[in-house]
Amino acid sequence: MKKFFYGSATVCLVTVLAACGSEESGTDSKAGIAGEGVSGTLDFYTSQPDADAQGLVDAFKAQNPDVNVSIFRSGTEEVVSKIQAENQGGNIQADVLLVADSVTFESFKADDLLLNYKSPETESLDQSFVDPDGTYAGTKIMATGLIVNTNDVTELPTSWTDLTDEPTSGQAVMPSPLYSGAAAYNLGVMTRQDSLGWEFYEALQDNDITITQGNGAVLESVATGEKKYGMIVDFLAARAKNDGSPVELVYPEEGVPVITEPVGILANTENEEASKAFVDFILSEEGQKLASQQGYTPIREGIDAPEGLKTLDEMTILDAEAVELLETRSDDKTKFGKIFGQ
Amino acid sequence: MTAKQPIDGERKKRDSSFSLFFQRNNLYKIIGLIVIFIFFLLPVLRLIWLSFVNDGSVTMQYYTEVLREPATWKTVKNTLIVVGGSTILALVLGILFSWLVAYVQLSGKRAMQLFIFLPFVIPSYITTLAWTQFFSASGPVTAMLSWLPGELAAPNLYSMSGIILLLGISHYPLVYLFTVNVFRKIPRELEEAAATSGLSKQRTFWKVVLPLALPGIASGGLIAFLSNLDNFGIPAFLGTPANIRVLSTYIYEQVVGFGPSAFSRAAVLSVILGLIALLGTVLQWFLLRRSRVNETNRSDSTPRIYLTAGKQKLVEALLWIFLLVTSLMPLITMGALSLISAYGVPFKLENLSLRNYEYVFMTDVKPMSALSNSLQLALFTMIVCLVLGTAMAYLRFKYPDWSTKTAELFMTIPYALPGTVFALCMIFMWLEPVPGWNPNIYGTVWILFIAYVTRFLVLQVRGSYTAFLQIDPSMEEAARTSGAAGWVKWRRILLPLLFPGILSGALLVFLMALTELTVSSLLWSSGSETVGVVIFGYEQAGYSTYSTAFSTVLVLGILLGGALFMLLGKLWDRKVLKNK
Repeated sequence: MKKFFYGSATVCLVTVLAACGSEESGTDSKAGIAGEGVSGTLDFYTSQPDADAQGLVDAFKAQNPDVNVSIFRSGTEEVVSKIQAENQGGNIQADVLLVADSVTFESFKADDLLLNYKSPETESLDQSFVDPDGTYAGTKIMATGLIVNTNDVTELPTSWTDLTDEPTSGQAVMPSPLYSGAAAYNLGVMTRQDSLGWEFYEALQDNDITITQGNGAVLESVATGEKKYGMIVDFLAARAKNDGSPVELVYPEEGVPVITEPVGILANTENEEASKAFVDFILSEEGQKLASQQGYTPIREGIDAPEGLKTLDEMTILDAEAVELLETRSDDKTKFGKIFGQ
Repeated sequence: MTAKQPIDGERKKRDSSFSLFFQRNNLYKIIGLIVIFIFFLLPVLRLIWLSFVNDGSVTMQYYTEVLREPATWKTVKNTLIVVGGSTILALVLGILFSWLVAYVQLSGKRAMQLFIFLPFVIPSYITTLAWTQFFSASGPVTAMLSWLPGELAAPNLYSMSGIILLLGISHYPLVYLFTVNVFRKIPRELEEAAATSGLSKQRTFWKVVLPLALPGIASGGLIAFLSNLDNFGIPAFLGTPANIRVLSTYIYEQVVGFGPSAFSRAAVLSVILGLIALLGTVLQWFLLRRSRVNETNRSDSTPRIYLTAGKQKLVEALLWIFLLVTSLMPLITMGALSLISAYGVPFKLENLSLRNYEYVFMTDVKPMSALSNSLQLALFTMIVCLVLGTAMAYLRFKYPDWSTKTAELFMTIPYALPGTVFALCMIFMWLEPVPGWNPNIYGTVWILFIAYVTRFLVLQVRGSYTAFLQIDPSMEEAARTSGAAGWVKWRRILLPLLFPGILSGALLVFLMALTELTVSSLLWSSGSETVGVVIFGYEQAGYSTYSTAFSTVLVLGILLGGALFMLLGKLWDRKVLKNK
């Protein structure tokens, strides 16, 4: 396609369109022969960092050399918007989707956009991370904890409520639920805990917490010492610490909300066999070891978490019903906006 | 109706053969408008359609819902303040700089020009990061203020005025770019005549120079206005902590807001944004109605105002201080960040390495292929825009009637919309332009190409149109009477006169396409990743040190290209134009 682009982009737009319209190649794909290896093309939409997504696809292709996987990678919010726009436009291009949290998948499920497929590999997973209807399953564990700048703070916090105490006033930062889906998930979960609730967010506002767009901005802010405390997804903090940033990751004692980066297959997939094989691979022992090597806590039991992160059984997990979170997400955001004066 | 009318009549009469042909063939007009409609307006209309439909029936429900919310009106008010303020700032800075560079004897003007472009090329997340550190509690501004008596605090950038400041500084180069050539073309004799008639320098500036520079100022101001309106990075970064929403960030919040009505609500807000853009465009037409050119001058780069040595040094020093703070400081911040191993480690020699560069250019394969893709896309976009945009500007100049005005308006809208929204429009449109027919454009590099051309064409149209406005219609007539027709007329007479103006438009299109981020992040596909996509990817994965390394190389490359370009310009002046 690129060569084609090279050659003819100098001709005017109209000719270009005609040329494109008559071209036969494209995303058409053929399902592989059942049983014996899979083949064809696969469109994989994901929000994983580029290198990680590529690593996953490379490992899968080592086992299934006849499958050609194209990756589209962007932020969860962008990937979701893209699929919804494709749906509005009449034709979803994605075959397999892997993005932030179960609530996102519940919204696609509610619109009947997902295929029912219960991978045999899900038997080795904690069933609370698997959709009972089989439309999606978690692929890793990403907890949100506290990040602290160790140049400025000697006494590490132990609890979420440390962020609402007088000594941390004006020195903490969190990602905005209005921009980040993961932060919106945390909002939904934490306001449903007896120990925290909406009072927690009201107290954060009273304590003058700063709101940034996403987790990356929280990391920059705390690592550079602009702020001393932050709410952040665990692997970012662990990785920054390993790279030498003066930060420490804390799992608060009340427990942590976790997102699981679920994977699911789109109902109108053009390559069901390859999609299923891909999902199986992500959840398999090999796929999960790869996730651990890439720096994430694996979701499959019996595989070690990478340096600096806790494994699933070492964490206390704050939980809430994904379906309920979906129904109330919009209200939650509005309420958040009201508390923080927007 | 107004003074414009007779001029139009005159022009048409003089060029009667061609214009009669055109008037008799309204058909051509209609066909042209239909093509423009399909490429520029239809994608947007498909989004607007969503704001009227609920479960298959037409409804005003979303409008009543959105318009009733106080949040909407607060956002609109914020937007008007932010966009108005930053546009005024961009205009003041842009006019000041272009006037100084065009009129006043200063040394090192070419280097100055390069630094004027920088704030516009450096990615806005870098600009904001650099400025927030500059003004932070541990930054240089606070340190300097602490030497001064009194309790002075550094201004808080996380505020309305902070957003206005950064937007204005990022977009004044647009005003500069469109205005500087116009200033250079103002006939010296007019100013001399004004001086002889007893007008003071100041009054000459307000009564003669400024009105004559209006075409450039209006075009640059309009583009700066639209850029302020659609900018997402700066208000998102600075506005989120301060609870300040503008339309572009509010629309993004709606789009990612999941719910079934997400797109519909976003569409309603986009319509409001479009109306504001329309208002700006019409205001600009209104301003240009009164401008008219009587003489055609070749652009004149020799200074008109000579200062005493001391004053000249003072002005130069002030200009360079401003440029160092607004252009070099973010660049240095970016370079410094790209050398450290991790955020927060002290900036000491043992912590510095080229590790980030090594990863970006040796380990990861994406950045290099993205660079190649973006360069090709930017180049082809520039060429197509150069041809189509200049043709459009010519028609708009020759036949300023309803059809060309409408066409220009259609072309403005894709540029005014926030990138995310425009990308969604492109998906709606090109996935299945006609239900059931997928032309396989979406999902390939072609969708990016079409998106870039539709989004950036207006920049070229404005650039070329400004250049045309500098030409007295009699030049063309003179060319024809002397026997120069068709291509010869263009090559020998028109193009040399138009060259600088057309080129600044093309340069703008090229730079915009090269560093484009928000549209690409939704439309790219395997094999067609762009520079913006790679930077966005690193940022989102929390690898800011990688993205700064990549951006640093990109900006240095652009600087180098710019320096080469200026050198060529110097040669062109000497060899071809034979100006001393």
